[in-house]
Amino acid sequence: MLPLFIILGIGVGIVLVLISVYNKIIRLENRVDNAWGQIDVQLKKRNDLIPNLVETVKGYASHEKGIFEDLAKSRQAMMNAKGKEESVGAANMMQGALGRLFAIAENYPDLKASENFSVLQEELSSIENKIAYSRQFYNDAVLQYNNAIETFPGAAFAGPMNKKEQVYLEIPETERQAPKVSF
Amino acid sequence: MIKKTEYPRYITDTKTTQKIDLLAWKAANIRYSYILGFFVFVLFIVIAYLIAIVSSPELAIFYIAIAMFLAIGQNIVAYWFGDDIALKVAKARPANKDEERYLVNITEAISFGTGLPMPKIYVMDSALPNAFATGRNPKHSAIAVSTGLLELLDRQELEGVIAHEMSHIKNYDILFLTMLAATVGALVIMRDLFMRSLRYGSRRSNKSDKGQIEAVVYLILIVLLILSPILGSLLHLAVSRRREYLADATAVYITRNPDGLISALEKLANFKDTSNEPINDGIRHLYFADPKSFRRQIKGAFATHPPIEERIARLKSI
Repeated sequence: MLPLFIILGIGVGIVLVLISVYNKIIRLENRVDNAWGQIDVQLKKRNDLIPNLVETVKGYASHEKGIFEDLAKSRQAMMNAKGKEESVGAANMMQGALGRLFAIAENYPDLKASENFSVLQEELSSIENKIAYSRQFYNDAVLQYNNAIETFPGAAFAGPMNKKEQVYLEIPETERQAPKVSF
Repeated sequence: MIKKTEYPRYITDTKTTQKIDLLAWKAANIRYSYILGFFVFVLFIVIAYLIAIVSSPELAIFYIAIAMFLAIGQNIVAYWFGDDIALKVAKARPANKDEERYLVNITEAISFGTGLPMPKIYVMDSALPNAFATGRNPKHSAIAVSTGLLELLDRQELEGVIAHEMSHIKNYDILFLTMLAATVGALVIMRDLFMRSLRYGSRRSNKSDKGQIEAVVYLILIVLLILSPILGSLLHLAVSRRREYLADATAVYITRNPDGLISALEKLANFKDTSNEPINDGIRHLYFADPKSFRRQIKGAFATHPPIEERIARLKSI
């Protein structure tokens, strides 16, 4: 009888370990997905603010056509983007355009003084900041996930579960510097 | 540039080069909270028993039953409502989404970076620049910031302070510190009530037969009641300074940049309090920087926080 129990015990133990490894991979994958969702929400929010921003700036600096085109282009790219990498590419483009727009705004004191503009500027800078922090969290989540599926015992599961390594999101060098907004 | 710095499980104390396990730290906070609850339970029973001996020994069981009931009530209040009490004592109000949008946005960004839920944001209308976090777990947490701090700091510095407070939430420091504040607060109230009743009562009873035993018991009782709040704060102080260093170090990992926090601490170190705002001792240890340090130097066992200069030095060595 005793050997039977031992074998049974070992069997149950192995099954428990398998379940916990499986769950760990799923949990970490969900974390990556949630982290991406967080970024996506901010990207969409920013996209929705662009027409409003363009409208406001046009009221003061209607001849700065180039920057409006850049923004429209990046907004279109954002809306057409499929998958994470395209979204991030479009987002980086938009961020660059916004940076240029805020630099141009320095030349228009009336624009800078308008309340509408300063509210939008705060909103957009904080979205940029939130995206930066979300990306950081995303990359942390990806790192943990990738480690889990590349090392034993997770590696043995990755194939059958059809789990592939996820990519990190590039963070532009300038982004981590806090946006300068004074009140 | 791809940042592959995983959120660390261990943080090295730069001074003692001791590795601190963040998960163990969190577990310790939860354990300390249980111990604190048990301490309250035992303390209440001992006090009830001593009171029973002095007044009516035949009712001892009854007194102890009441004490158990009160102790459970005290622990429930400390756990579930400790944060509300701390916020009320600090006269904090919920942040206004329009006026303090900036603060709300920063906190949201930091909470994204940590993967924790967004804490509730409160503002204290006070010239003293300070902040604290409270709550019982990350889902039920709050950060309160004074208007003085909002005026003094720029965005990057404020990010550092919020990240520091977020670290307290992440590490479950808030649970232990808030329960401790609620417990010490209750003991102080009990002591004051007792001292008052003692002064009033001593005028009547002056029989000398049982006097000696009575006096001894009274003495123990007084000592116990006077010492317990002090004991409570010393217990906390023993661990609080490491707690602050740890939160500072964790904040740097969250913001990936020590400059904001360093510069915030430098501004606070140079801040001289000229106001006469009252400082509540019960929640002093919850604050980002000891509010009394703005008035005079407090050193040794009674300092609730490490000196700001020391914190800056440690941050610079990360």
